[in-house]
Amino acid sequence: MRRTFLLFLLFILCFASTSAALAQVQVRLRVIGASSEGQSIDPSLKDIYKELGSLFSFTSYRLFRDENLTLSPNQPASISTRRGRLVEVTLMGLHRDIAELKIRVVREDKEILNTQVRLSPGRTVLIGGGPRQREGIIIYALSARF
Amino acid sequence: MKKSCSAVSRLLEKYFDQEVTDEERSHVEAHLLDCHACRDVLKSMEKLRDLAKTPVEEAVLKEDFPWVWQKIERGIRIEERPTFWEALQSWFQTFPLFQRKVWIPAVAAVAITLIITIPMLFKKTPSYPSASVVEYVESKTYNVMVYELEKAKVTVIWFFEEPEKETPSS
Repeated sequence: MRRTFLLFLLFILCFASTSAALAQVQVRLRVIGASSEGQSIDPSLKDIYKELGSLFSFTSYRLFRDENLTLSPNQPASISTRRGRLVEVTLMGLHRDIAELKIRVVREDKEILNTQVRLSPGRTVLIGGGPRQREGIIIYALSARF
Repeated sequence: MKKSCSAVSRLLEKYFDQEVTDEERSHVEAHLLDCHACRDVLKSMEKLRDLAKTPVEEAVLKEDFPWVWQKIERGIRIEERPTFWEALQSWFQTFPLFQRKVWIPAVAAVAITLIITIPMLFKKTPSYPSASVVEYVESKTYNVMVYELEKAKVTVIWFFEEPEKETPSS
């Protein structure tokens, strides 16, 4: 009887872990440095260069970081970027092919931006801004893979 | 038949089959020298044996024993080889995952999981209009602009941050 109960628990755990794995989303976070100095385009930004070009007047785009974050519900994942900034991404919900993501940009424990977006397949969210410096501006490009 | 014939006749069959002791043999042979009746009984036994022996020997000579043995072996193999269903049944019986101790909790676990997950799967989820990608955006210090390129499926969240204090270069 005890053995049967243990087996039952084991199966429940297996199914729970499978369900948890199914609820995961892969988010690609790219940290891009945009500037008006030079005319170089990072080859790994080919897929969004057209959009970047139509939205901004920068002439040079460099890829600083390219991270694939596997997000589980309500478990924040963060990466530190340039200028002492930290980007924290949390999966808040998953509705079929839409991932609800909470994104926080923090600098020195001070929250710069707090937003929640719905990412569907093929959609890219670009977050950027701040003062123009010699090296330009930092843009975060987020896209989800289901 | 003499008086001792009754005693010898009991030994006669054993004598014929060569199963007597030396003492019994000498006793029977001494009696046969004198007794015509007993000799006749022995002769009739020999005739009967010859009658039975000849056809059996002939049949044995005619028979091809290696072939017979092959036939027997083949028969044993066919008999021993289980059918597909028998093999499947025995596999199910021996495979630990299909033993009652295992599959009952497994089925129970699957059933419970399905009961829990099916309503979640079929729960009506709100269909978001494609335009509302940004649910909310807030910044305590800076102004924020949201811009969307629907055709290109790009949403821009742009914040106007105060100029950073540049560290003086030493």
